[in-house]
Amino acid sequence: MNQVNPLVEQVREQGRLTFNRLGIPTMRLEHWKYTDVKRAMAPFMDHLGDPPAEAAIDTTAIDALAMENLDAYRMVLIDGRLHQEASALPQGVRADSLATLLAEKPEQGIEPLTTREDAPLFNGFVALNAAHARDGVSICIADGVQLDKPLYILHISSGGAAHICHGIHIGSQSQATVIEHYTGSEDTAGFTNVVSQVRLLQGGSLTHIRLQQESSRQTHIGRVSVCQQRDSRYRSHSIALGAALSRVDLITSLAGTGAACELNGLYLTGGRQHADHHTVIEHRAPYCNSREMYRGVLDGRSRAVFNGRVVVHEGAVKTDSSQSNANLLLSARAEVDTKPELEIYNDDVKCAHGATIGQLDTNQLFYLKSRGLSEDEARQLLTFAFADEVLASIDIPTVRRHIEHAAFSKLPHGVDIEEILV
Amino acid sequence: MLKINELHVSVDDKKILKGINLEINAGEVHAIMGPNGSGKSTLSNVIAGRDGYEVTQGSVTFKGKDLLALAPEERAWEGIFLAFQYPVEIPGVNNTYLLKAGVNAKRKHHGQQELDAMDFMQLVKEKAKLVELDASFLSRGVNEGFSGGEKKRNEIFQMAVLEPQLALLDETDSGLDIDALRIVAQGVNQLRSAQRAIVMVTHYQRLLDYIKPDVVHVLVDGQILKTGDANLAMELEERGYDWVREEAAA
Repeated sequence: MNQVNPLVEQVREQGRLTFNRLGIPTMRLEHWKYTDVKRAMAPFMDHLGDPPAEAAIDTTAIDALAMENLDAYRMVLIDGRLHQEASALPQGVRADSLATLLAEKPEQGIEPLTTREDAPLFNGFVALNAAHARDGVSICIADGVQLDKPLYILHISSGGAAHICHGIHIGSQSQATVIEHYTGSEDTAGFTNVVSQVRLLQGGSLTHIRLQQESSRQTHIGRVSVCQQRDSRYRSHSIALGAALSRVDLITSLAGTGAACELNGLYLTGGRQHADHHTVIEHRAPYCNSREMYRGVLDGRSRAVFNGRVVVHEGAVKTDSSQSNANLLLSARAEVDTKPELEIYNDDVKCAHGATIGQLDTNQLFYLKSRGLSEDEARQLLTFAFADEVLASIDIPTVRRHIEHAAFSKLPHGVDIEEILV
Repeated sequence: MLKINELHVSVDDKKILKGINLEINAGEVHAIMGPNGSGKSTLSNVIAGRDGYEVTQGSVTFKGKDLLALAPEERAWEGIFLAFQYPVEIPGVNNTYLLKAGVNAKRKHHGQQELDAMDFMQLVKEKAKLVELDASFLSRGVNEGFSGGEKKRNEIFQMAVLEPQLALLDETDSGLDIDALRIVAQGVNQLRSAQRAIVMVTHYQRLLDYIKPDVVHVLVDGQILKTGDANLAMELEERGYDWVREEAAA
């Protein structure tokens, strides 16, 4: 082991101390009252910080898990470690391994590992991440750069605990797309704990696609924290399909005048899966715009949680915000807890929010059947259409197709998915 | 083709249809006219098989089969088509996909081979011309963001593609401006044939200026009070519905 820089050691120590104090979040905490991680975490508690064994995953296995035919700059992390040979770092863009940065430029490397304890939704997992995250991707896009291809970060879990930390810095007037894709072979039962810190400078624009497609036995904990300067645009597509238990927190702070964010989310759960999404949008500056649409389709005995909080601070005049969460329950035993929250501290705002939980629309069903579609076929079609509305705004066709395939093949179906996608 | 005998229908225990008798043969165009709330839409919905209507008495047969025992999709396969008064928007369901699924489900039911993508597109493009529907509508979500007129044109377009034996047009003229009305009527007229029956349910005589019916029925308070030829529609336009009611009472 090479020598550890005192700066890095300080961050690690701080993380350890905070984690020792907070521990794994329990259901007694307001923001964890519907999500019990205790049982899922039990197998990992004794060796939370142990580096996972070096997994033997060859390039064929990597290619099999990656999105097909995606033209992108690819970076591959296996159990939280950057796989250099399988990664192609783009020119003109600084994309470093976090491990490299921590060793060579520690003062820069520790930045994404540092989260203040008073930040929204801070919890023990964030501290744990600071204590143990060895690697990740640190992307730094200089001012005025329009990235020609997406940056695609493929994560492969082969079991064990992986703490990953990403830093994404988008320079002034720059534009990029970053895809975080979480996968693993079907028999793995690992634990992923990932923190992504995003910073957008003035006029910067980021499309951030986060696809969680891990094995059905995985535990996935994620946090995306975004800080937006003046006139920046942040667009997120957060999709949860895999894992036994997943929890993703997305916090964005609209800190500069005229900044805008668009948060799209989709979770499809079946069996005994549990998917939890918490989002916080902080309107801190005037003339900011936020749009949020999360949708869920729940089958079997699965359970989902949505908690979306929008805070409009005192000086954030002319705020324009809308939020919606809609859920479709395919089974009587599926359950969803949804809670949109709105806190407004000034009068000059336009805010709308709402949540729905329901079954399919009977008028639409009758219309389809009157055209000759069977009951089953009509139901499937409407379910796909409901989910697909969230995906429609993904403007890279390859990515959209990949997600549609992954999502729709999870739903009960008898119709030819390929045809619907025409 | 369609025989309705002493049909009584209730909605939420309220009697809407009170003994309808009607016979419609292939090749005929019928108009069912009546004031608001007379039961016109109930009649077309019962024939198409919508939920929420309780048939308390009577029968409906189509080509000799008990229609009321069939699911809505089975009625479609048998050749019944309802052009909706308020076509629903179904975002995310592709217009063309819906039609292809509909056409092929029907073909399969009749033991015919399903159409492949090429043949189907050919058919669809040809029929779209009938109602001057732009090809861009084909790849959009069903009725998604369509104007009122576009929705009605889309209904007639679907009718053209699905080639029903009995087409029910429920208030197809409502919400149409004069140009759209002309286009829709032209489409319907081209679909008139000796093998097909068309039933227009309408409040106004306006549509009948463009699509001339063979038979006109007056539906008032859940009963057909009078039946005549196209001249009856003219008379209703001039004199309203009250005289029919009075005449029946006398």
